[in-house]
Amino acid sequence: MTAIPQDAALVRITDLHKGYGAHIKVLRGLNIEMKPGERVVVIGPSGGGKSTLLRVVMGLEEIQQGSVTFAGKPYISAEGSKTRIDTEQRKKIGMVFQHYTLFPHLTVLQNLTLAPRKVHGVSRSAAEDRGRAILARFGLDAKADAYPSQLSGGQKQRVAIARALMLDPQLMLFDEVTSALDPELVAEVEAVILQLASQGMPMMMVTHDMWFARNVASRVIFCAGGVVVEDGPPEQVLGNPKEERTREFIDRVFHIKG
Amino acid sequence: MELDFSILLKFADALALGLWTTLKLTVLCVAMGTALGFLIGLARASENALIRIPASAFVEFFRGTPVLIQLFWIFFCLPLVLGVELSNLASATIALTLYMGAITSETFRASLRAVGREQMDACVALGLPRSVQILHVILPQAVLRAVPTLLSNCISLFKESALVSAVGMADLMFVGQNISNNTARPIEVLTAVACIYFIIAFPLTRLVTRIEGRMLRKLAA
Ligand SMILES: Nc1ncnc2c1ncn2[C@@H]1O[C@H](COP(=O)(O)OP(=O)(O)O)[C@@H](O)[C@H]1O
Ligand SMILES: [Mg+2]
Repeated sequence: MTAIPQDAALVRITDLHKGYGAHIKVLRGLNIEMKPGERVVVIGPSGGGKSTLLRVVMGLEEIQQGSVTFAGKPYISAEGSKTRIDTEQRKKIGMVFQHYTLFPHLTVLQNLTLAPRKVHGVSRSAAEDRGRAILARFGLDAKADAYPSQLSGGQKQRVAIARALMLDPQLMLFDEVTSALDPELVAEVEAVILQLASQGMPMMMVTHDMWFARNVASRVIFCAGGVVVEDGPPEQVLGNPKEERTREFIDRVFHIKG
Repeated sequence: MELDFSILLKFADALALGLWTTLKLTVLCVAMGTALGFLIGLARASENALIRIPASAFVEFFRGTPVLIQLFWIFFCLPLVLGVELSNLASATIALTLYMGAITSETFRASLRAVGREQMDACVALGLPRSVQILHVILPQAVLRAVPTLLSNCISLFKESALVSAVGMADLMFVGQNISNNTARPIEVLTAVACIYFIIAFPLTRLVTRIEGRMLRKLAA
């Protein structure tokens, strides 16, 4: 899928500091190295900065210190008070958010084709063919001409994933994409993500669904207090954590899940 | 005193002419005022203070002073400033267009704001350049959101345009006042005039309600 040598990092986050305003410090020196083909699930307490981390990687946020490289090349860096973001690099990353962010005034197919047509100069018919193919793969062919308001939450999230895939991302970010869904709609969205995972799509995601995390992750990172507390394979971090703080968190989450 | 509405039949032609003037004026000012309001709304959302502050001053001025006095200014002061005589219709059109511009700019500004940050995030995540974000994502949604309020603005203007009668323009209100003075039957005449305004405004207000519901459902995604 990518031309990156297997030993290089796909994403390398070095000493990342990020806050909001002068007083809220969220990430405090975070380091993560993600290899190509990895599927990283980030877990941690609410308010711990998981969304912030993903938003930084998506290039949506200013940072105060540190750097991010993508596919071996500089991507984001803090230079003085400015944040430098390489927008060409950013185009290789796709993201799906917790709240549906489809464009409500466009049909499903128009949502999918807008960026390929306007950013990559793909012809309308080529973009539509591609769009219909992806929709068919996700079981949404009948919805191509529907408006987002006519879809269920699960369908909207699948469309949002399809929209991101139209740009052939080399990394997908998912921020709690099933948290806003009714329970019976969660599975259809997770199935689509598992389908992508089985095709080798690199991804970084935040989820509170431990069953899903175990199934999709090749690696789990527990973040708390703005730093990485524990980082390892899912069997370790979810099943038998080394760190006391991870253990407490996992116990609590599983306990709540009953 | 007996009420006698039959006298109105004699003046049907005059009333129709007055209504025609009112409609012409309203349509002109709605079209130009909405276009102006759109531009001012954008200007008020600008990050450049040199654009934003004059636009805001314009809006506050026209929203904060009586329309009647604005009409007097345009009718009597503008010709002095410009040094040319303006027709009644031209003066009234300028005055109400500026007023409508100020009012609708607020409508547009609010609807621009209503397009949330999440939509912007989605645009960035899709790599859409700023121009595409504005033209294909923000503006269409802002305009759709603005439609119900804009229609309400239009209905208000239709009724408020009656003020131009005070500066001698022969609109529906002016004609009605004349007839009522000449016949000494203000109740019948003014009631009839009110009915004419109502017959036109009422279906429009119903339409606004329906469109509003549809827009809200559509944009709630
Ligand atoms: N735009 C923002 N402005 C101010 N504070 C924010 C903003 N976004 C997030 N925060 C704060 O940053 C902290 C981390 O938030 P977030 O990254 O959303 O955590 P998580 O996704 O782990 O729940 C929280 O305390 C939150 O209130
Ligand atoms: Mg979050």
